[in-house]
Amino acid sequence: MSVQPETSRQQAVPDEIGRPDAAELAARPAVIEVAHLDWHYGSRQVLFDISLDVHQGEIMVIMGGSGSGKSTLLRHLVGLMPPIPGKVKLLGRDFGALKAMEKLELRRKIGVAFQFGALFSSMSVAENVKLPLRELTKLNEKTMDIMARIKLEVVNLSGFGDLMPAALSGGMVKRASIARAIIMDPKLLFLDEPSSGLDPAVSSALDDLILRLREAMDISVVVVTHDIESAFKIGDRITILDKGRILACERVETIRSNSNERVQHLLNRQAEEVEVDPTEYLRRLTGD
Amino acid sequence: MVALTRFFETIGRRTAQSLDEVGYGASLLGESLFWLVMGRRYRQPVRVEATMLAMLNFGVTALPIATLLSGTIGLMLAIQSLYSLGLFGAESFAYIGIAFGVVREFSPMIMGILIAGRSGSAIAARLATMTINQEIDALQVIGINPVRFLVSPVLIALVVTVPCLAMWANLVSLTCAGLYVSSALDISFAAYIRDTMNVLHTGDIWHGIGKSALFGVLIALVGVINGASVSGGAEGVGQVTTRSVVQSITLIVVADMIFAYISTH
Repeated sequence: MSVQPETSRQQAVPDEIGRPDAAELAARPAVIEVAHLDWHYGSRQVLFDISLDVHQGEIMVIMGGSGSGKSTLLRHLVGLMPPIPGKVKLLGRDFGALKAMEKLELRRKIGVAFQFGALFSSMSVAENVKLPLRELTKLNEKTMDIMARIKLEVVNLSGFGDLMPAALSGGMVKRASIARAIIMDPKLLFLDEPSSGLDPAVSSALDDLILRLREAMDISVVVVTHDIESAFKIGDRITILDKGRILACERVETIRSNSNERVQHLLNRQAEEVEVDPTEYLRRLTGD
Repeated sequence: MVALTRFFETIGRRTAQSLDEVGYGASLLGESLFWLVMGRRYRQPVRVEATMLAMLNFGVTALPIATLLSGTIGLMLAIQSLYSLGLFGAESFAYIGIAFGVVREFSPMIMGILIAGRSGSAIAARLATMTINQEIDALQVIGINPVRFLVSPVLIALVVTVPCLAMWANLVSLTCAGLYVSSALDISFAAYIRDTMNVLHTGDIWHGIGKSALFGVLIALVGVINGASVSGGAEGVGQVTTRSVVQSITLIVVADMIFAYISTH
């Protein structure tokens, strides 16, 4: 199996960003621990015995084809689905065992940016960014304004606070969503498909933003993405999911030499070759 | 045989789904009341501003159409009462039927149906759109309880505004009916009002207020349950909105009948 040569963008990345080395990251405490997580939708099992951990300050990229279970895993990681059976520990606390109010407290330390932004359409961009502060703190209006302006500046959206989400472009919506996700200075940041639907230049700028955030805030980031270039640019480790199972979870430097054929297919953007039984294929088409 | 099995299967599935929705509605109501009472203690009070805004949208902006409807209902009742009682030469007792009919039945029910169509659909559509756009998920991961943030203000607003609108409808309906009856029977408007006040008791007014508050709860819960259960895109939003209006109106009529039976026995 041949391995595609790395693009110049991918090769240049490690020197530019100064990615933390493996030993340094491994020595840091795990802030996300997933153990033996299974999940079914009705009778269909979508996650099989998922176990992984993310260390403090690490950027973990979760990749996989459509229907591989990435989004379901992310929903478990951010506490939108109960980890039954299995265990999800965030910042050392077993999310499934927490009481409702403890979960609310823990969620204040987590930031999530959804695939389509999930900005509240009835509020301006600045109001969206300020919402967690307004609802969860007792800060006065002026302080909230200043904090929202700082975060909008961080994501290069200063001056856009008064606009409504409908007036923003796709990339701006994603950046505004990230600004809202980091307004409470979280320790964990989850990004769902940050580069989907964006042109390469905007996508690359968003990657730089994620790296800057990690460096400035020392946060751990979990990114779910389809974008291989982006994954190699920002990730410290890449987890590859396929049909609900983890195929590989390795450092970006080593994953390209992984011997698993499916991993190579996914990394080299090749469709899986499936042997087709002509009779069965015809039966499926005709419905006989 | 297969068709029969499928028929019973469908009935069973729909029954289970309905029971599921009733349970969900009860838990929503309980959770809303919990946040209303305990929210401040958990540093997450129900938003006063959002509640006031909802009252403005559901109540104040509905005043013109509520006035038109209740005035028409009052006139219609007066015309029908005079005609039917006139068959027995008892037109002078028309005020009794009009007073009880308006205060105990028509005002609460018509205002309930109006708000179900006008605001219940808006609640369902808003919740459905928010669900599809992952805004509800966003609230949850931020650490904001969606019931406290979205449902409680709507529920409080409807429990307050539907009875207020029903009271307003009483005033308008009785006035319009009084103007018609006094003119038709050649009696003074003041005499009509005096007779009406003599026949009505405080309990009748409370009957209407209690019913309207119940309708407010039903409209809010049905809107939220349908909005939260949306699937698909824009088509799904349309479906749950329609479903919400139909269910609200049906429940209002059925609840009205049960309320009337219980309160008169």
